[in-house]
Amino acid sequence: MQGGVAPFVVGLVVTLLLQSVRLGGLAVVAAFATAVYFVAGFTFSPLTATRKIVLLGLLAPVIGISIDFGFKATRAGAGMLALAAGVVALWIFWPVLLQKEIAQIWLFGGVAAVAVAFMVGFGQMFLADHAVRAGAAGLGAGLGVGVAAILAASATYGLYGIALGAGSGAFLLVQMLRGKPGTAGATFTLPAMLIPGLVAVGAMVLAQLPWYSVLVLALVPVGARLPVPPSARVWQQAMLLSLYTFIIAGIACYLAWHS
Amino acid sequence: MSEKLAIALIAAALPLSVSAAPESYTIDPYHSFVHFEVDHIGGLTRMRGRFDKTAGKFTLDQAAKTGSLDVTVQTTSVTTGDNDKGSRPRSRDEHLRTPDFFNVAEFPTMTFKSTNVVFKSDNPGSIEGNLTLLGVTKPVTLNIERWKCMPHPQSKKDMCGGNATGVVKRSDFGMKFGIPSVGDELALFIGVEGYKE
Repeated sequence: MQGGVAPFVVGLVVTLLLQSVRLGGLAVVAAFATAVYFVAGFTFSPLTATRKIVLLGLLAPVIGISIDFGFKATRAGAGMLALAAGVVALWIFWPVLLQKEIAQIWLFGGVAAVAVAFMVGFGQMFLADHAVRAGAAGLGAGLGVGVAAILAASATYGLYGIALGAGSGAFLLVQMLRGKPGTAGATFTLPAMLIPGLVAVGAMVLAQLPWYSVLVLALVPVGARLPVPPSARVWQQAMLLSLYTFIIAGIACYLAWHS
Repeated sequence: MSEKLAIALIAAALPLSVSAAPESYTIDPYHSFVHFEVDHIGGLTRMRGRFDKTAGKFTLDQAAKTGSLDVTVQTTSVTTGDNDKGSRPRSRDEHLRTPDFFNVAEFPTMTFKSTNVVFKSDNPGSIEGNLTLLGVTKPVTLNIERWKCMPHPQSKKDMCGGNATGVVKRSDFGMKFGIPSVGDELALFIGVEGYKE
C-alpha cells in the first residue's frame, strides 16, 4: 500500500491531469513523495543522508522543469547534469563515508559518483526525448532498486524504490492506453534516474547492498535504449523495453540476494 | 597542647571530608549492558535485544546526595540473537542496523547524559537526563531499581553497581519504521557496574 498502490494511484492522477501541459512526468516524484509521506514523513532535522535524498528528490523536478522550459537540450548540458549528480551523491554520503576505512571510502565514493552520474547523464542524453523508453527505464530502475534494497535489509529504501517504479509505471500505462508517446523531458527523466540512483547508493552505504549490484542497477536505463521493432505499437514497445530493464534489474537483485 | 589537639582533630576529620567529595567511577564494559524490549506484531510477543558495547563514567557524592551518569552505547553492537541470515536475504540484526531502525553507519553511537540524580534515602532513586539517538536528543528518566556499593570480593577495589529502567518512544527519535506492527515504545533495561577511579 505505502510503496505500491498509493504511489501508483497518485502517479496515475498526476499523469492524467498534467500530460496536456507536458508535465505528466511529475508522476514519478508525486509517487515518491506519497511513499515518503506514509513511510517516514517530511522531517528534515537532523539532515540525515536519507532526508537529503528526499530533499533532492523533491528538488529534482524543479530543475527538470527549468531545463525543459528554459534551455535547449544539448549533450554538454547532459554532461554537466551528470557531473552535478555525481557531486550531489558524494555530498549526501560524505559524512557517512568519512567514518569508514580508506579503501571503503574510495570504493563506495567512486561507485556512488559513477553510478548516479551515469544514470542521470544517460537518461538525459538518450531517454529524455523518448517518453516510452524513459518510462520503461524509470519502471525498471525503481522496481529493481526497491527489490534490491529490501534484499539488502532496508525496507524503507525498498518502499521508496517500489514507489518510484509505481510512478513510472503509471506514466507508462497512460501512454500505453492512449497509444501514443507522452512527454518525458528532464521533468520526468531527472527524478526518475536521480532518486533510484541515490536510493541504491544509500542501500549500499547504509545497509548491505553490494557495490557491484549498484553498478548493475545503474545499467538498467541502458536496457530501455535497446532496439524495438519500428512497427511495434506503443504498448508493445513499452512491454518489450520494460522486459529489457527487468532483466538487468533482475541480475542486480540476484547479486544482492547472494551477497 | 591545645595546638596539638587542634591538629589531631583536623587530621581525624580529613578522611570524612575526603569521603564526602564526589567519587568518580569508570563503567566496566564487561559487566555493563543496555537491554531493550519492544512489542512484536502488535503485542503478540515482547522481543528482546541488547547492545554489547557500553562505556562511560558516573560520579557519586553520598553526602551531598548528588551524582551524574554519562554513557555511550555502540549501536553497531546491537544484537537480538538473530545474526545468521540462513536462507533469508538478511538477518534481523542486520535489519536493525539499517536506516529502518538504528542506522548505525550514520549514527554509530547513542548517548545518555544525566542532568539530575534524585536520591531516595541514601541511594540514587532515579536519573533524569538526555538520550541522544539518531541525532535527536530527548529527555528521559531512568528509574533505579537497585543500587549497591561495596569492595570487589576478589580485587577489593571499591565499586558500585545497579539496575535502571526507562521507556522511550522510538518515533520521537525519528525511528518510525514498522509502527505499529513493531511497537513504538522501547523499554530500556540498563545494568551498570563501575570501579572507583
